[in-house]
Parts: sequence; structure tokens; C-alpha cells
Amino acid sequence: MNAWTVIALAGIGSLVLRISMVTAADRIRIPKRLEQLSALVAPAALAALATTGIASATTSVGIRAAAAPLIAAAVAVLAVWLTRSPHAAMLAGMAALWLMTALLPA
Amino acid sequence: MISLTAHRRDVAAGARAMVPGIVATAPFGLVIGVTAAQSHLPTFAGWLTGPTIFAGSAQLTAIQMLNAGAAPAAVIVTVLIINVRLMLYSAGMMPHWRGTPLWWRVLAGYLLVDPSYAVGIQRYEQPGDRRAAHVHYFGAAIALWLSWLAAIAAGATLGAGLPPALHLDFLVPLYLIGQVVPRLTQAAPRRAALTSAAVAALALTVPMHLGLAVGIVAGLAAGIVRVNRTEAGATATTKTLATKTPANRPLAKEIAK
Repeated sequence: MNAWTVIALAGIGSLVLRISMVTAADRIRIPKRLEQLSALVAPAALAALATTGIASATTSVGIRAAAAPLIAAAVAVLAVWLTRSPHAAMLAGMAALWLMTALLPA
Repeated sequence: MISLTAHRRDVAAGARAMVPGIVATAPFGLVIGVTAAQSHLPTFAGWLTGPTIFAGSAQLTAIQMLNAGAAPAAVIVTVLIINVRLMLYSAGMMPHWRGTPLWWRVLAGYLLVDPSYAVGIQRYEQPGDRRAAHVHYFGAAIALWLSWLAAIAAGATLGAGLPPALHLDFLVPLYLIGQVVPRLTQAAPRRAALTSAAVAALALTVPMHLGLAVGIVAGLAAGIVRVNRTEAGATATTKTLATKTPANRPLAKEIAK
């Protein structure tokens, strides 16, 4: 199966999820457990994605600069925690990454 | 009858109501475009996740997993796990779209995602003409859809021309950190996020790049255990308080039933 087919099938599956309830009208009731679970999907998925992204960056910058993405990620967490602004992560994190990769050449 | 031409003002009002949503999501769309351009996938395939999947974190997951060579079934299942919340939005819209033509429910359902649900449900909960609310939702959702696809295209165009030394692909985990950290104030989401991150890190070497899916499932399991514990604790506290005083004993009996 190539990437085009995977993207098409993932799109069809997502559409089915979107229209499932509105086309089934009021015959179905959502279990409470599923509602609770759905509130946890975003933090679980986003955290796992962030972790794999940071891990991937540590291998792409070279062995000597591998600490740079980890430090940049820590700076980003701190920036969001202190400012409560999600955009602070990108501003502070990229600045920290560029500084650290300059100080720790690959 | 749902007529867009008869309710032009409502279409425009819906689009205006979506402006904050567009401003908030545009950077994520740019990041997805940059990621698509810098991946091994054809850039158009990365952009195509916009009109097909039309949900940021699921799109990003699909692009990253396909770029890493993950098994096709793993990519599709992970996307659907992330998008399962769309079913709940669909359920939320169900009473408002009852009695509308099937073509409308399919079209409106296709455009259903976090910001369009938020803007749409707010309008539906106000009294007034139901048809105007439908058109308001459509105006908001289509404005979001167009801006989202434009943002991905802009990111893909910019991303292809930028030097790799800038490490712009690192914008993705940074963006995600920005989305996760504010959710860590509540116990269950915090448990879900920290477990998911830890397991995904430990599972980096899992074959077929299933580590991401394993991390998400572990995070959900840990989060739901935390929810159960909180509920059990709350029930026990209620029972204790109810049986402390004689006046509350009838209430305690009622709770114990």
C-alpha cells in the first residue's frame, strides 16, 4: 500500500467518524467511558508526537550537538509554563536550539 | 431548505466568528506544510492530508509515520485513534442537524473539527432561525477549511526552499509542547501526557514504528485509570460525609442503593 492510498483510507475513516452520529440520528447513545477517553486523546497524542519529534531531532543534529534539542525542549516547556502562551514554545525553543547548535557544532 | 444565497449575512457572520480560530490554527498549518516539504513524501501527498484527514495532529502523525516508513495499517489506526473525538462532535451536532437533508449532514460533517464545532455549537445554542444557524456554521467551517489548506500550502512552499541548517522541522515538537503544557494542570490529562511521552520514548525502537501508537494507547490507559480513581475517591468521600451525621443517614441510604 503506497502513501497515497494510506492518506485516502485515513481520510475516509476520519469522514466516517465525523458523519457516524449525524447520519445514525438518535438511535445511538455515546458511552460515558468513550466521552472521558476522548478528553484524554489530545494530551496523549500530542505528548507522544512531541517526544518522537524531539528524539528524531537529537539524531539529525549530530552526536556532539545531540543535547541541543533536549535543552531547547526544556526551555520551551519552561517558557510555556511561565508565560501560559502556547506560542512561547516555538519562540523560546527555536532561539535555544539555534544557540545550542552554534555552541555545540556537530 | 438550506440556502446560502438567502443568508449571505449569516455566512459572513460565521466566517467572522471563525477569525480567532483561523489565527490560532494557521501556525500549525504552516508547520504541517514545512514538515511535508522536508519529508521524503511527495509534497502534494503531505498537502493532501489537509482535504482528506482535515485534523492537524492526525495529519502530522500520518506524515511523520509515513516518512519514517511505518506500516500502513499502523498509520491508519493511529490516525483514527487520534480522530475518535470527531465522533463526539458528530454526536453533539446530531440534535441540531436532525431533519436536514443527507447531503447537508455529510458536507457539514466533513467540515467538523475542533474550531468549527466550537463556533458552530455556540450559534446553535442561541435561539432563532435554525436555517440561519446552519448557514452560520457553514460560513465558519468553510473559512477555516480554506485558510487551513492555504496555510499548509504556504508552509510547503516555504519549507522546500529553506536550508536544513535552520532545523525548522523542530518547530513541530515545539508547537506540540505549546499545546501539551497548558493541559498539564489537570490530573488525568497530565497522567495521560506524561505516560504517553515516557512510553513513546522507551518504545522508539519498536518495529514498524509502532512506538507512537503504543505510547498513545498507554497514555490513554493511564489517564482513564486516574479518572476511575478520582471517581472512586469522590464516591467514597460522599458516602463518608453522608453517614457522619444522623440527619444525613437517609441520604446515605439513597446513595448506597
